[in-house]
Amino acid sequence: MQIIKLRVNGEEVETAIDPRTTLADFLRQHVDARSIHLGCEHGVCGGCTIVINGKMARSCIALAATMDGAEIWTLEGLKDDPAIVQLRQSFHECHGLQCGYCTPGMLITARDIIARYGEPDEKFLREALAGNICRCTGYAGIVKAVQHAAAQLARRD
Amino acid sequence: MDALTVPNGKKGIGGSILRNEDERLLSGRSTFIADISQPGMWEIAFLRSPVAHANILSVTKPEGFEQRVFLLSDLGDIRPIQADSQAKGFRRSDYPALANDRVRFVGEPIAICLGRTRAEAEDLAQAVFVEFEELPAVSDLSQCRDPAYPPIHPGWNDNLFLETHIDVGDVDAARAKAAVSLTRQYRMNRQAIVSLEGRGVMSYIDERTGELVVYSSTQFPHVIRTALAHCLNMQERELRVVAPEVGGSFGVKNNLNPEEIAIAALTKKIRKPIRWVEDRREHLIAAPHAREHRYEVTVHADKDGLILGLEASIDVDAGAYSVWPWTSPMESGMAIGFLPGTYTISNYRATARTCASNKSPMGPYRGVGRPGACFAIERTIEELAVHLGLDPVEVRLRNYVRPDQFPWKSAGGKTYDNGNYAESAIAARDLIKPERLTELRQRYADSDYLIGLGYATYLEQTAHGTAEWVQRGLPVVFGYEQAALQMTPDGMLIIDVPIQNHGQGLETTLAQVANEELGIDPAQVVVRHGDTSMAPYGMGTFASRSMVMSGGAVGCASALLADKLRKIGAHLLQVQDSDVRLEDGFVVANASGGAKISLKEIAVAAFLRPERLPDDVDPGLSVVASYRTSRDTGAWSYGTHAAIVAVDRGTGMVHILDYVIAHDCGTIVNPMIVDGQMMGGLAQGIGTALYEEMPYSAEGQPLASTFMDYLVPGASEMPHTTIEHLCSPSPITRYGIKGMGEGGAIPPPASLCNAVNDAIRSLGASINETPMTPDRVLRALLDAQAGSATA
Repeated sequence: MQIIKLRVNGEEVETAIDPRTTLADFLRQHVDARSIHLGCEHGVCGGCTIVINGKMARSCIALAATMDGAEIWTLEGLKDDPAIVQLRQSFHECHGLQCGYCTPGMLITARDIIARYGEPDEKFLREALAGNICRCTGYAGIVKAVQHAAAQLARRD
Repeated sequence: MDALTVPNGKKGIGGSILRNEDERLLSGRSTFIADISQPGMWEIAFLRSPVAHANILSVTKPEGFEQRVFLLSDLGDIRPIQADSQAKGFRRSDYPALANDRVRFVGEPIAICLGRTRAEAEDLAQAVFVEFEELPAVSDLSQCRDPAYPPIHPGWNDNLFLETHIDVGDVDAARAKAAVSLTRQYRMNRQAIVSLEGRGVMSYIDERTGELVVYSSTQFPHVIRTALAHCLNMQERELRVVAPEVGGSFGVKNNLNPEEIAIAALTKKIRKPIRWVEDRREHLIAAPHAREHRYEVTVHADKDGLILGLEASIDVDAGAYSVWPWTSPMESGMAIGFLPGTYTISNYRATARTCASNKSPMGPYRGVGRPGACFAIERTIEELAVHLGLDPVEVRLRNYVRPDQFPWKSAGGKTYDNGNYAESAIAARDLIKPERLTELRQRYADSDYLIGLGYATYLEQTAHGTAEWVQRGLPVVFGYEQAALQMTPDGMLIIDVPIQNHGQGLETTLAQVANEELGIDPAQVVVRHGDTSMAPYGMGTFASRSMVMSGGAVGCASALLADKLRKIGAHLLQVQDSDVRLEDGFVVANASGGAKISLKEIAVAAFLRPERLPDDVDPGLSVVASYRTSRDTGAWSYGTHAAIVAVDRGTGMVHILDYVIAHDCGTIVNPMIVDGQMMGGLAQGIGTALYEEMPYSAEGQPLASTFMDYLVPGASEMPHTTIEHLCSPSPITRYGIKGMGEGGAIPPPASLCNAVNDAIRSLGASINETPMTPDRVLRALLDAQAGSATA
């Protein structure tokens, strides 16, 4: 076992873990971060996307043991983040979700895209979303929702 | 795609209202199967077969861990899955919960291993020693009746589940009369289904009720309860099956799984909570697969393209076992039944073979059988048009069943309810604008891009009831649906239904149906589903049935509840029952002035102040109603898709430049949700057409076991799409609704293959196989080049 100390969603966590534990499993089991949805566990589908030290990342292909001292945010901790609040509303209004399994990863990815690129055009946005698989929507509502949220947030700035 | 949200002010049927279920899903806090646990719960890893076909000579459990590894013999007296078709000549396969003496596909479960974590359980699975005696693996349809491959099931003499025939009219006369007879071969290869959340089961004993509680990520909890009771020798009252939040399904969670039986049996035995969460590799190799059809089709036609007769030979690889309750011949049965499509074909002769192989069993996937049948007939009609030098839409228009011919009894034995197929084709043609082709071809003339246009018309039988399922010979007949409505004392409504919502928006659309009858705001309605201890018995969500069947049941129950509300309301308003109406949460007197009383006040009287009720009205506001369609051969949605593609002759890549859909699903309950279903189906259809394939090696090893080698469409693969809704309300369903969940996925392989062929025809090339990967497209181009070089 290995001791790690890190901050998750603003709170300090210190615990002993099996060194082979993935970050996704650790966060789901130790801090009930059930918004992390595992769709492939090999870094392709994007369902487990979170924020590690300010950067969007996949929690399924990171080891918890490497996260000593890290600052981590999951969708739970971002629930009052202005971009996430707007994205949730836009996904609702634009029918950007069906079963909801890919949704947390989509929201965090979209937040990152908007933070970095503002209001990207549709072609760029689709490329930027290509690391997140949705099997239900055909992406039409998702793309529309992210564009809607980006416009709303830009208007606010 | 501008139609996703157009608020039109309506809250009932026809309103694009936003979804009731979104809030919990957007928080990420809802509970999927991996989010459900019990104190002291053990995690499961299945030891799965690494070989395709072998006798199991021995299994040795790791020393010291004998109590954490369980074989079939450890699970007590349980029955295998026996999905027996009633069709004459069907050969049975016993599908055991855990393989005992033989394994028949890579991924078949052999043992359950328990660990405190999944990783521990996997360690244990790796430490189990199995001695196999390998046997030749049946890995291709061509081996089905080859004596070099011994039968994979005892008592069989080859590897055929079933062969069926249709011979309607006089095909020989049609052939003799025909000006043209064309024969073509088509292949739609095997694919995985891929819900983003895999399958999963968590079970425990509820020591208070004594129930064996089984949480399963399933589409039909009541039916699973019935099946588990049979397999475990239990009474249904001893079982509770719950489907929690289900992260996508598309048919793959619509089967009785051996894993479900094994886990339930083990829980019953050890009386400890256990959980299995399927990982992606397990899903890709061991969850039911789909498609894998091969066709040889011959069309006989006159010189104007009028079809005189159709002949077909159909082969489907159904994998190692017959899945319950669908049975292995479902795919080939649908293919042979749907091949005549939307056309007035009266002379039809066909053979359909359901072959067994050492591959994962074939299960239902969005479209079931019809994507293959549509691919074969729509490719054929386009080939006919090309051969005759005619416009493909014009040839279709000459052959469609006309609106005055309904109900149409097809040569495939189906009864179509209504529609205007020609209208959908003309609408699609108007949307895609074929006149653009000349300009597009000029624009790309100096590039590697070859431009093509293709069409496909499809049929989607939905909400079929008793007659259809009896005809298909299934062990279960899905003839009806029930709904239970209860108003609460504060005037809100709870609807309990046995169907299961896994993305379709049924918590919203069923509330819209209640609004239609009761005038209650859909936001005030809670729809609960997925739990056998809450809802009355019912069949679940599949086959595009829930909006029609469960919508019908909610409509019937709401109408009964409305009668009671009006009666109490009229009494409280001191007017005649016939002089009131329900509107916006009130019972309103029709008389001028329109005195009104709220549903809340009525609910208070019904539950808390019975002295206010009329003498002939019983307290309470609860209703259970059952619904079936007036004719139970199905409500038939249909439509025409059209695509313009650019084929890169240098790389073989297919780019979709534009895509249009003109479809008719009868009365639309929520246009926003219908658009969402259509786009989701289209994405899966594009996956079938261009990307998704589950190949096997000659040894029966699945060759795509991660998302690196099994490709599903991403956001950048989806084309600009226009959807037009036509509306012919079904004459056989309440409100005229038709189901539409599968239609989007049915014709894209056909429309895109037609478009690709249109693009590469000028080079003398053709392609008749999905997915149309760059490799296959390049091969088609190279074959044409080689052909013209030797010619």
